[in-house]
Amino acid sequence: MFFALTDDQQAFATTVREFLADRFDLDAVRGVVEDPHGDGHPVSLWKGLADQGALAVLVPEEHDGLGLGLLDAQVVARELGRGVAPGPWTATVLAAEALRLAGSPEQQAAWLPGLAAGETIGTVALRGEAGSWDGRGITVDASGQNDGVSRLSGTASPVDYPSVAGLIVVAATDPSGTPGLFLVESGASGLAIRDQETYDGTARVGAVELADTPAEPLGGGTLSGAAAVAALMARGAVLTAADLVGVAREALTRTVDYDRERKQFGVPVGSFQAIKHTMADLHVAVTMAEHAVLFAAHAVDTEDPGVDVAVAVAKAKAADAAWAATGAMIQFFGGIGFTWEHEAHFFYKRARRRAPLFGSADEHRARLAALTMD
Amino acid sequence: MAPVDLSYTAEEEQFREELRTWLAANIPDEWTQPGFWRALDDDESFRLRRDWEASKTAAGFSGIEWPTEYGGRGGTPGMKALYDEEMVRARAPQTVNVLGLTFLAPTIMAIGTPDQKAEIIGPMLRNEVIWCQGFSEPGAGSDLAAVATRGVRDGDDYVVNGQKIWTTNAMHGDKIFTIVRTEPGSERHKGLSMMLIDMDQPGVEARPLKQMSGASEFGEVFFTDARVPAKDCLGEIGAGWRTAMLLLSFERGASGVGQYTEFRRQYDEIVAEARRFGRSDDPVARQKLANCLVELECLRYHAMHILTQVEQGRDLGSESSMTKLQWSETFQDLWEAFDDVLGPEASLARPRPDVDLTPFQHQAMWSRSVTIWGGSSQVQRNIVAERVLGLPR
Repeated sequence: MFFALTDDQQAFATTVREFLADRFDLDAVRGVVEDPHGDGHPVSLWKGLADQGALAVLVPEEHDGLGLGLLDAQVVARELGRGVAPGPWTATVLAAEALRLAGSPEQQAAWLPGLAAGETIGTVALRGEAGSWDGRGITVDASGQNDGVSRLSGTASPVDYPSVAGLIVVAATDPSGTPGLFLVESGASGLAIRDQETYDGTARVGAVELADTPAEPLGGGTLSGAAAVAALMARGAVLTAADLVGVAREALTRTVDYDRERKQFGVPVGSFQAIKHTMADLHVAVTMAEHAVLFAAHAVDTEDPGVDVAVAVAKAKAADAAWAATGAMIQFFGGIGFTWEHEAHFFYKRARRRAPLFGSADEHRARLAALTMD
Repeated sequence: MAPVDLSYTAEEEQFREELRTWLAANIPDEWTQPGFWRALDDDESFRLRRDWEASKTAAGFSGIEWPTEYGGRGGTPGMKALYDEEMVRARAPQTVNVLGLTFLAPTIMAIGTPDQKAEIIGPMLRNEVIWCQGFSEPGAGSDLAAVATRGVRDGDDYVVNGQKIWTTNAMHGDKIFTIVRTEPGSERHKGLSMMLIDMDQPGVEARPLKQMSGASEFGEVFFTDARVPAKDCLGEIGAGWRTAMLLLSFERGASGVGQYTEFRRQYDEIVAEARRFGRSDDPVARQKLANCLVELECLRYHAMHILTQVEQGRDLGSESSMTKLQWSETFQDLWEAFDDVLGPEASLARPRPDVDLTPFQHQAMWSRSVTIWGGSSQVQRNIVAERVLGLPR
């Protein structure tokens, strides 16, 4: 029995954490937050992550990647969440996962080395407005193939970083009603990216509008059709849960540190049980969410028979823990925590925006009910 | 170092098979039926379990992780986890000597005298001597250092007066490990001693305590000029607080594997009742139950985490407070969900002539106690806040 991070995985986490602390601290994050019309994609941060192999984690070695698992990738996601770091890391990693799982050897060879090196930015467009995250929320239609090319029409939203992406993996439904994954390149005819403002300044999002846009179906890989879409959703859920767990842990740590020192009524406010007990409950909740993400990543990597339950548990728990911990951060910093100049809102807004991605806590609980009650 | 690996060793799996086979052959079918144990007279239930457990010990399936020199099996922490899991799976009778086995025995192994090691552990393992724990008092619940039970030196003995409460197995105990204030006028953590007192003497009287559930898992123990030889002190005289803290540190979280197995089965049983009464399609009920499942699965992962820590020889420290919070609060939420989801039917002993909900109701009532005993949730939160997070006292 070994349920923990290995020394290597811990060292990887430390490397990313120290890189962010040295090279992309909260002042740098603020620079991105306060420039909402910028692309939200600092090149120095991106290059640094690429240099550390953070983009190559899941890419097979034959395509210049590290050939590691989701267990290793969640280490990176957690640290990026902890540092509320901007940029299209999750989006790019998921685009590469789509290729690894569903692409042909030729498609993989064409795209994976660039994605692993950070030369190509990728993203995924998997659902449309008000759609669910279980594959039934797909709002893009694909035509039949002609010479290996399909035509896509419809709008997917919200999509992470579509403006800077050179490659967009789109989930679309073919005329027979079967979902599948398609590659759309930036600049393709009929493709329009409509930037969408979001209160979460640590990300940039937009709508991907497709009008008879040429797209290459992903095919010839291990998975296809609905299974490929589901596998990508599961990975998106785990990586998002990992980011949320990082956000939650850092929010809690900062709040505890502050409340140890902040004095009111002549004593540190952290000595009051009203605060202590909330912090203790949050520490338990965040710790459980960390365990759940670790288990879910392992379950995906090993195709554990309980993987569906594991992913739903991790996403539900991480989303709840992140909302609770970041809400508490504002409350227990007091008035200063509600100001623009304080960093609490970076954490709160990132948690709020990401919690529903790849299925909200409620949606994942509904999934758990379906898995265990029907 | 290999990444996450949830498997047990071949040796551990072999042990699991042997235990499973023995349990299958040695637990009568009727014992595993719902309500069997509660229908029995208390003494009869205790006698059956006591004898059964002694036969389990004789077969080599007790003291799993104890050294062989104490009659244990010399097994691994993984074997202990598997033992906990298989006992629940097989619906084996609940351990009668639980406080002795969990707390007293490892403390004696750590700091007992050679005579105590030789005389106490073996008979405990064979259920020849049933041990009670004498910690809480009417005036010393969460505040254990407020203990008022007095012991006064008289020749080779101490003479003990006072009262203990919430004593598990009070009516069946042979001996009781008891925190006694042996230094007159001492206060708080000082002047306490851990005395091992014979309950079979005129100065000791046990009374059952009827709980809100109607059952009597706990009792009260009254000491009136009870005598205990000075040599029957565990640890040094006056060092009782240190002994007590060492003793409580053996509440290891590895049993979380067994708890998960038990609670997860209860979840499935509640779901089955929800279905029977037409409540399983209700979206609110589904959210409520699914959230219990989230917390249950987290308990399982946490148990794996704890088992890993134990196997790596790490000190769990205050982490056991997190384990207690997670399992007790989750268990209570699960049984609140039972009431919530079933609605008016939940309160009826027999909502249909062929449906007996009393075992469920008993669990639901019992669930109110688990966030109190063994350190209340409020005490556990203080411990987590102060010792894990470092918030000021």
